[in-house]
Amino acid sequence: MMIINDLKYALRLLSKKPGFTLLTTLVMAAGIGLSIYLFSFFHTIVFKAMPFKDSDTLIQVSSSQNAAKMGSPINLHDYYEIRTKLKGVSEFGAYRTANLNVSGRDGARRYSGVLAEPNIFRLTRTKPLMGREFSNESNRVGAENVVVIGYDMWKNQFSGDPDIIDKSVRINSESYKIIGVMPEGYLFPSNTALWLPLREDATQISRVNSGNVVGLGHLKEGVTTEHLNPQVGLIMQRIAQQYPETNSDISAYLSSIQGADENGIEVIYTMHIIAILILILASINVGNLLLSRAIERGKETAIRVALGAPRSRLISQMLWESILICVIGAIIGIIILIWGLDVTEEYTKGFFPDKPPFWWIFGIDGYAVKMLVTFILGTIIVTGLLPAWKNSSVDFNAVLRDGTRGALGKKAGRLNSFLIISEIFVSMTVLIAATAMMVGNFKATRADYGAITENVLTAEILLTESKYTTPEKQAKFVKSIQSRLENTVGIGDVMIASALPGALTTTPAIALEGKEYNENKGYPRANYIVVTPNSLEKLGVELIQGRYFNSGDDGLDKSTVIVTDSFAHRHFGKSSVLGKRIRTAELDGDSPKWLTIVGVVEHTIQGPSYGEKGKVPSVFRPFSQAPRNQLTIAMQVKTDRKEATKSLRQTLLSIDSELPAFRIEEYQESLTRHTKAMLFITSIFFLFGVAAVILATSGIYGVMSNAINQRTHETGVKRALGATEGRITKEFLMTGIKQLLWGGIPGLLAGSAMGFAMSSILSISIGDLASVAIGLFVIIGGTVIVATYIPTKRALKLEPSDALRHE
Amino acid sequence: MSDVLIKLDKLTKIFHTDEVETHALSNISFTINKGEYVSISGPSGCGKSTLLSLLGLLDTASKGSYVLAGHDVSDISKVDRARIRNRQIGFIFQSFNLISDLDVEENVELPLTYRSDLDSKQRKKMVKDALEKVDMGHRAKHFPSQLSGGQQQRIAVARAIAGNPAIILADEPTGNLDSKNAEGVLALLDKLHAEGATICMVTHDSRSAMRTQRKIELLDGVILADIKTSNREKVAIMAEVKKIAEEVNV
Repeated sequence: MMIINDLKYALRLLSKKPGFTLLTTLVMAAGIGLSIYLFSFFHTIVFKAMPFKDSDTLIQVSSSQNAAKMGSPINLHDYYEIRTKLKGVSEFGAYRTANLNVSGRDGARRYSGVLAEPNIFRLTRTKPLMGREFSNESNRVGAENVVVIGYDMWKNQFSGDPDIIDKSVRINSESYKIIGVMPEGYLFPSNTALWLPLREDATQISRVNSGNVVGLGHLKEGVTTEHLNPQVGLIMQRIAQQYPETNSDISAYLSSIQGADENGIEVIYTMHIIAILILILASINVGNLLLSRAIERGKETAIRVALGAPRSRLISQMLWESILICVIGAIIGIIILIWGLDVTEEYTKGFFPDKPPFWWIFGIDGYAVKMLVTFILGTIIVTGLLPAWKNSSVDFNAVLRDGTRGALGKKAGRLNSFLIISEIFVSMTVLIAATAMMVGNFKATRADYGAITENVLTAEILLTESKYTTPEKQAKFVKSIQSRLENTVGIGDVMIASALPGALTTTPAIALEGKEYNENKGYPRANYIVVTPNSLEKLGVELIQGRYFNSGDDGLDKSTVIVTDSFAHRHFGKSSVLGKRIRTAELDGDSPKWLTIVGVVEHTIQGPSYGEKGKVPSVFRPFSQAPRNQLTIAMQVKTDRKEATKSLRQTLLSIDSELPAFRIEEYQESLTRHTKAMLFITSIFFLFGVAAVILATSGIYGVMSNAINQRTHETGVKRALGATEGRITKEFLMTGIKQLLWGGIPGLLAGSAMGFAMSSILSISIGDLASVAIGLFVIIGGTVIVATYIPTKRALKLEPSDALRHE
Repeated sequence: MSDVLIKLDKLTKIFHTDEVETHALSNISFTINKGEYVSISGPSGCGKSTLLSLLGLLDTASKGSYVLAGHDVSDISKVDRARIRNRQIGFIFQSFNLISDLDVEENVELPLTYRSDLDSKQRKKMVKDALEKVDMGHRAKHFPSQLSGGQQQRIAVARAIAGNPAIILADEPTGNLDSKNAEGVLALLDKLHAEGATICMVTHDSRSAMRTQRKIELLDGVILADIKTSNREKVAIMAEVKKIAEEVNV
């Protein structure tokens, strides 16, 4: 009954001041909504368990380079070595992703596939919906071609044929027997449509010729990746000593599949801290407003105490206001959250060329509910307990007698100081970290990849190994498609490369002629890209020294190379590099093939512009000297995109009917994908930044104003004793500046530390960070001064006699 | 040199609230000489605190003139008003109005810190002297919350006299004190007066008023009476006070 009475009373109080109620509820809605959104978002993309049994113990083995986690596959031989020597992991398995051309009645289509060891489905504790999984026999080199297809492919490509098992399908121009169909929603490891046996035995292939794989395994009970990674490091160190040509600076590490241990996790943790700080900021602001109300109602509370109300009852009565504000705020926050997660689901699809990982399902799940309950309880405590405690501990006798003010103000003064310093600290930390991240993201999105991207359409082509068996056939295909496309109406220049600027590529170890390499001094690595003659020039990659490739470089017997200026500076300093010779460190045969540098071009970014990958230098080889089966075609579009796409498909069909072009998109679009996630996170941060600025400035003003208002009487006393207005203003400003320093300097250090933690991931220089920190310190300082000056002036408008009577 | 310290001529104070005009004081005229001990009394709402605010330059009159120590202060700047409050007027408030964050010594020193003609050493000496006058030298490092009401008011008296003001204005100085502490504070004011201080005290307590030399009685913003307190009345009051003091074992 008492609870109902208290609730009714709280509702009455809130309805009496609708403006106050609306403001506080919206502040809490923003704080809770934004914080849970961010926690929920990152939980889904980084920490969420995958939807199968034992997913929490499933780990992957990836490579690292110069101690930087690359998240890329490791050499099959390295995987075998780890599998043999590493204790603490059971059920090892391996896979490699592959683009697979699947032929049907209406031509070939490209799918995301996986070549895996037979236990891939057992590792994920999932059985096929129909048919069987791979046997060990199916993984033997020379065994019958078999495939397990995904649910979507079964439904779409084969119309859900119930007799699909044992039927044939043509993949990469070869016939495969379908032995199983996986259940709906199963797309492991990310968005796979079909699975083929890996069929690679490290004992049968040389280290140079073996491909890379991602290792999988289950952690044994009580073992963590942190325990095992030093072991993995030692194993890889021994391999690097034995094979410096292929493994110098290369190591490996175990991590969760979702990427919680990858590079960039610092940014994610930083964002979590910022979300919490935003929530604290919102709570302090609401707490301060409630505190002002509690002070206003001091006399009423004193009357209640005089009438015998116990302290616990007073606290509970005042807590109800906070509970109502926080719960209603949370409800509004959840509505915003649901909408935000819907938008996020749509937007994140653009992060990937195909589909996002299959476990990325955004929505209110158990985790979000758990966080919501935690946040509501936390905000009730922060917003409610302080004013409730403050008001319930008042000297009711003094309040009722309307006197002895002199002995009462010390605690209130300390509380206000604490609130102001906390507000300044939190604001400074949030704003510096958020702004640093925005600056880093902004720079990443504005990066110059080194190529002209306007009106260029790109497409990828995978030459099947069964048909394009020799380098000559691959080179012939490239020559043929380039000349046909260039003679097509509506298409201008055509550039062909294994990777265009902006795309990731292999980074083999490189040896420089005349340099000694041993196990202690590793070979340098560079992006290794093959291009057709004149492609670099047509792409707008600027020539700095020497020449571009020309027809004179054509032929497998030629050995020329163009390097980027970043490569030249890093390895040759200021001396001219033309005529100098380099080679890939790994030898496939007995005699090394030295490549002569004929040109130097500007640095191109391969992969994302932020982080270490964007800084890796590149070397370019003519396509005809080192052909590849995976190509990217870039075409200058003269008319419109649809026509160009049609022309490309027709040209391909005329050369090879089983060869599809996939990922046909504008060049700029593919580059944007690198930064799309960044842009999205920047947008979130912008939102957080705006929220932080509004909450911080209004909060600092509110707390300052409240503190000065509470000292109006003291101001009256001082003025009665002869203090001038200028003196009083100066005193308040000095107090404000002291509080700015107490809260601002630790906030500046904390925010800068968070910014520094992100600097290795994002392109944030120390200069950027210093500018952001100093700029924001000035802004917050200005806010503090304005927030002090205006309420002080208002308090000084009163005559001293009125100030002395001020309650 | 004239003995007149304060001269009020037709001083009027009107408050405007919404559309209501309240005449708090109407045409108040009187003088206070140097060394005089004056009480202003009257029922609640009669305007005595407003009058004290005007005398202390805490507020400005709507009409009339106010001459303090030979200078017309009716229409001076805020800065000048602050300077005069600091140098010439000492305030004692009903609710002491000590600053809780400052210790006793700092509270007493506070008005002196607003003066540019005193260095720290001079200020410390003046504070020490003032505290000794009110017998509170031993409490110099205490905070107001550590003192009783009577002790707090003694500190407030010390603060009022530390700068040797021309006049001490006391607003119900015993209003928040029990009879024992009230007597202590009144005895202190008597002592200060005996040493030559000019004191103007607002009080609604007739016995306190009787201890002064002169009693100005207000009613509804006008002076009802301005009378000298006779020695006979004073003696009677003091005898009564003595009797009460003995009863409560002062």
